[in-house]
Amino acid sequence: MATLRTREIRAGYLFILPAYALYLAFLLIPLIAAMGLSFAQMDRLSWTIDWVGGENFDWVFSDPRFWTAFGNTFYFISMSVIGNVGLGLVVALALDRAIPGPLLYFFRLAYFLPVLVSLAFVSFIWKFLYSTDLGIINYYLRQLGIPNVPWLTSSSMAMISVIIMDVWKNMGFFVIIFLAALQGVPRNLIEAAAIDGARPWVVLTRIKVPFIAPVIVFCITYATIGGLQVFDSIKILTNGGPGDATRSVVMYMVGEAFDLGDLGTGAASALILLVTIGFVIACQFGIVGFMRRRRKA
Amino acid sequence: MTMMTHPHADTLTARFYRATRVIHWRNWTVMVLLGIGAVFMLLPFMWTFSTSLRPISEAYRLPPSFLPDRLDFSSYARLEDGPIPFLTMYWNSFVVAAVTTVVVIFTSAMAAFAFSRLRFPGSNVLFASMLVGLMVPPALVLIPLFFGMAAVGLIDTLWSLILPALANPLAVLMMREFMRSQPREYEESAFVDGASYWTIFWRISLPQMGPPIAALSIIVFTTSWNNFLLPLVFVRSFEAMTLPVGILSLFGSYGAEELSVILAAVTLSILPLLVVFLIAQRFIVESIASTGVKK
Repeated sequence: MATLRTREIRAGYLFILPAYALYLAFLLIPLIAAMGLSFAQMDRLSWTIDWVGGENFDWVFSDPRFWTAFGNTFYFISMSVIGNVGLGLVVALALDRAIPGPLLYFFRLAYFLPVLVSLAFVSFIWKFLYSTDLGIINYYLRQLGIPNVPWLTSSSMAMISVIIMDVWKNMGFFVIIFLAALQGVPRNLIEAAAIDGARPWVVLTRIKVPFIAPVIVFCITYATIGGLQVFDSIKILTNGGPGDATRSVVMYMVGEAFDLGDLGTGAASALILLVTIGFVIACQFGIVGFMRRRRKA
Repeated sequence: MTMMTHPHADTLTARFYRATRVIHWRNWTVMVLLGIGAVFMLLPFMWTFSTSLRPISEAYRLPPSFLPDRLDFSSYARLEDGPIPFLTMYWNSFVVAAVTTVVVIFTSAMAAFAFSRLRFPGSNVLFASMLVGLMVPPALVLIPLFFGMAAVGLIDTLWSLILPALANPLAVLMMREFMRSQPREYEESAFVDGASYWTIFWRISLPQMGPPIAALSIIVFTTSWNNFLLPLVFVRSFEAMTLPVGILSLFGSYGAEELSVILAAVTLSILPLLVVFLIAQRFIVESIASTGVKK
């Protein structure tokens, strides 16, 4: 038997080798390198490295543009989470009923198609839709007697425009997740409540929502992590402008590292992003654990 | 990223698709509202498609059209004549996505086989260490990867777009979940008959995973096809450019006045995804619902 066991162990390592080697080479080692780089100053021409301790972080934290980007990113997250998760839940609740086959096919196509298509491609489309003078959104608003809205060119509207497009694009993903969760709510609970004369609103708030609460927390976490990395849509729609009104943390990072050539501060700001993501995930686990304990108690 | 397995994923099909014959009036109201919402969701795509079929001079004519009011393919022809080699980019996008998909599916299936079927010391630690990668934003590893690529002279080649995408812990994780839900009987009897692990993997485990492999392939292919940040930073020349960044440079060289040419490029870029989605819609939706993950 010993030889059989050895064979199994050897096969185990061999089967893992390709995937793990790729993972090491293109994710884990770069991750460690990024951590190292955030404490260093690197000359791009001579490839020499100076260890500078926390200087990069001091620089990033004292850079008002970083805080602008950080603030913008959190503004984006707060609104896009409300829009995506909130509307996603509403549409999922609406879809969670007997719907004739062809109609369901159409609904799934309509609500899910934007999720599948690249953020870059839909950003090109929306850039034209948002155009102030020639865009079709303003055309229809004019028909209604509303003056032109400077969707992408005013600093107060630009981020809202990015968020509207983001909700249109990503809502369908949360619809699918919520729908799967809602299918898991025990039917006998709902039927028993209905027999007792509970109104739909009561069934919704007392049975359905509490039952899928952990999924709601998951979706909020997921949307938050995605929102922390917002880049493609802003890059194409506004390129961070007007001014710095829509500049996000990832845009700041790419700008520092690749446009200004300061790799150390770029890596430092990326690391701040990673720590923030870790914090958000820890919060999710904390909240879900708290809900479980309370349910048991 | 974080993951969550849904315990009722397998019953999803049955409930999702069952339609009763009697429909309550309240349900009709909800369906009408859903229908209006659905049309609004589709309008941007319909506008893109029908405007790409207008001649350039009429692209901006208002009111806009949402259904093609004419079939003028001159914008599509201009794509090939223009200063930007659109077909080359299309081919690049396809090559990058196809190579990435084949390698990722193959290596992650192998790893999943080991993680779900074989016992060996350290397997839990190795698997847990891969989960760390789910948390890492792609932007974070961009800087070291850029250096690595520059050091071996791969910047501005298709390899600089393919290689970083080959590390895909999410695919390993999903594949492992799929494989764990498969019955082991055939594999065990083949093992008793003296088949090697490779034979078992290649002849039994892989073939019975057909549907989930197809679904995962679509997800990996789409992710690669849609990637924007990596080519934006790693590629400068048209010869190695892929579609999302290519269209951004179309903006630069054509300007907004040639709206229908740009929209023709966008339409052609979306088309493969749309076709795949129309064929495998139910499939994709369920595999995403069952794992709760997307990348």
